[in-house]
Amino acid sequence: MSRTGRDSPEPHGAGGDGATTAAFAALLEDSAEELYDSAPCGYVSTLMDGTIAKINATLLDWLGLDRHAVVGRTRFADLLTMGGKLYHETHFAPLLRMQGEINGIALEVRRADGTRIPVLVSATIKYGSEGEPLLIRATLFDARDRRAYEEELLRRQQEAEAARRRAEADRARLQEALAALQQSLLPTVLPDIPGLEVASYYHTASPDRLGGDFYDLFALDGKRWAFFLGDVSGKGPRAAALTSLTRYTLRAAALHDPDPEATLATLNTVLHERYSGGDPRYCTAIFGVLEPDQDGGKVTVRLASGGHPPALVLRADGTCDYLPTPGGLLVGILPEPRFVTAMTTLAPGDGLLLYTDGLTEARTGPDRALYGEEALRTFAVDHAGSPPRAVVQALSGLLEGFGDGLDDDTALLALGVPAARP
Amino acid sequence: MSSLKITTRDAATGPVLEIVGDLDYDHADELRTVVSGLTLRPDQRLVLDLAAMEFCDSSGITALLAARNHALAAQADIALAAVPANTLRILRYVGLDQVFTCHPDSDVATVP
Repeated sequence: MSRTGRDSPEPHGAGGDGATTAAFAALLEDSAEELYDSAPCGYVSTLMDGTIAKINATLLDWLGLDRHAVVGRTRFADLLTMGGKLYHETHFAPLLRMQGEINGIALEVRRADGTRIPVLVSATIKYGSEGEPLLIRATLFDARDRRAYEEELLRRQQEAEAARRRAEADRARLQEALAALQQSLLPTVLPDIPGLEVASYYHTASPDRLGGDFYDLFALDGKRWAFFLGDVSGKGPRAAALTSLTRYTLRAAALHDPDPEATLATLNTVLHERYSGGDPRYCTAIFGVLEPDQDGGKVTVRLASGGHPPALVLRADGTCDYLPTPGGLLVGILPEPRFVTAMTTLAPGDGLLLYTDGLTEARTGPDRALYGEEALRTFAVDHAGSPPRAVVQALSGLLEGFGDGLDDDTALLALGVPAARP
Repeated sequence: MSSLKITTRDAATGPVLEIVGDLDYDHADELRTVVSGLTLRPDQRLVLDLAAMEFCDSSGITALLAARNHALAAQADIALAAVPANTLRILRYVGLDQVFTCHPDSDVATVP
């Protein structure tokens, strides 16, 4: 903002009228003695031993002391608090003697009424013609406002620090809760199944958006095992609640009637009843039952799909084919949906791969083309006949290579019959 | 930055929503809001014209299903028009081609 000369008072010497000039001259006649006594800071001069020789009215006023009680009777250090006295003796005075001057030292002076005033002290030594020290001149500035300001700053800083610590603690608690919840959605370990190898993998796209992919593998009775893998709609805590409902409904339904189509139908009924209306929630899922035969080392797989990408069968002879389940509907949308069933037999060296569409819908290459089912099948051919752990390891490497082309959670579950030992 | 624009017009069969842009995680709620504000009569058909829809993810599919639930609750009908190829692929994938009636364009979809 600029001001013109017309708006502001004329500065001295710039051609003001006679009365102003006279008033200014009268002010300048203010004596040096008057300035010394009433200056807006304290002045004190002492002998080299600290005995006060001269002190101005401002400082006497601050101290609440009478000039006669001070001059020739008191030392500078006696004006200070106990801590100040100590600091004066150990630092202030030695430094001053060494350097001839000292600047802006924060000390406190004691007043006659017992209160204290924080001050900033600067001092110089006056030397004689022979260079011998004659006296000490000190200036004291009232630092009360400054101290209050600094204390306010410090208080604000402490408050900000406390708020930051609270926020960090909250975030840590939230992360811990999310991690615990996420873990409750997936099995901690997969069970050991005689005559079958298993491996799984979960890729989380974002640590704070709880994933909606799920899988599980569990015993039905002494002879059969059930597995499922799927993807719920949405992300975040509400999706996690749906995942939890889905996982435990499938487990309970399978124990009641492990027929894959019936199990998905039960899940459908539960989700449709719970989430119809303006907030539809649903999932895709493959549910299957594994039945190892007693002697031949083969495993029969019966599965049903509701809107889920088809499972991939990796044969020991190096071929790979999808186990098609086209037309199966999302689970939870319609009261009477159609699910599609399929069956296959895994011989030694054969494997079954279940995955979520994070894998096949990933974007790859400079044109961000859809990765797709055919690319997955071609990739898997190279790993047909490998144990499930190796297949999952290769696929997790593939997922990692997608980089930011992979923006969805991805779950993998691989099952395989160990190859016959030669 | 993706965006979504929804315009509403009235045809002889009922409201037609033209969906332009991305029906994704960030914008799908806008369709839900528009749809929930529609009053449908039992003999009407809500048409969602997807000719200018550029992208539709699972959140978009959910918004389409929410629109279907809204129409069915009013005992009205719902139809999709000009479904883009990739979205049609996904709809088939999850069996929703059996759930939604799909028309080649909004003219066909609004024939009484």
